[in-house]
Amino acid sequence: MAGKAGMWSLVKERVQKKNIAARRKDSTVRTKDSISTVSCLDELHHDDNTRMAITMENTYQMGPYKRFSVAAVTDILEDVLTSYLQEERYEGEWSQKMTKTICEVIRARVKDLMIPRYKIIILVHIGQITGQSMQMDSRCLWDKSNDTTASYSFKNRSLFGVATVYAVYFE
Amino acid sequence: MDSYQIDEDPMLAVESVIGGNVYQHSRVKQWNSSVTEQCLSQLSKLGKPFKYIVNCIIMQKTGAGLQTACACFWDNSTDGNCAVKWENESMYCIVTVFGMAI
Repeated sequence: MAGKAGMWSLVKERVQKKNIAARRKDSTVRTKDSISTVSCLDELHHDDNTRMAITMENTYQMGPYKRFSVAAVTDILEDVLTSYLQEERYEGEWSQKMTKTICEVIRARVKDLMIPRYKIIILVHIGQITGQSMQMDSRCLWDKSNDTTASYSFKNRSLFGVATVYAVYFE
Repeated sequence: MDSYQIDEDPMLAVESVIGGNVYQHSRVKQWNSSVTEQCLSQLSKLGKPFKYIVNCIIMQKTGAGLQTACACFWDNSTDGNCAVKWENESMYCIVTVFGMAI
């Protein structure tokens, strides 16, 4: 049980080491166009509380009493993305901070909806538009009747922003 | 839970699907689906009591910048995530896996 708490931090370390190793291996093949950097794989407050998993008492609840409202969350995403990104231009440092800020704002607002027993995951991507092509895809292994997702994408002349919220029911 | 399997599966899936290929707009959708499906099927084979979300981004290399962030409201002691970054000369691929205990 104690191993579970540190599991994800161990994984994170390994991923970072593997990425560094992979980049060192590829350093002989230079791309003319771009240099990729993993600028920060940081997680705020991730390793602070390494407490034991709490066993909950059985509530005998068969399903969620209050469903996750996709329309309301999509409105939140639209509102947040438009207000933060409307007239902005893409810049490296700024967009890094903005992605994190937008993530936290969305999380706070979705939490305010007070939908009990739902775990929330918010993913935000902000990218520069330089004529490149990209494809974003996601697959989930979950309970189709209770779990759901909402997403919104925003675009202006120099950047695009995509926000996705996954809501997973905790039985 | 075997932590070492979590980051290897997406890497292997990406390598096998888009390994030495050059970015092609017509095929990227199919690649994306294959990568996510393979990751998810490998994760489900682990047989753990977890719900998984696999997110994959494939982007062409043109010098554009991309920032990704995630915020989660869950139980830190049982849930977690893992991000795997892969690249070749013509494209980047970022696979993020989230696992939530039931």
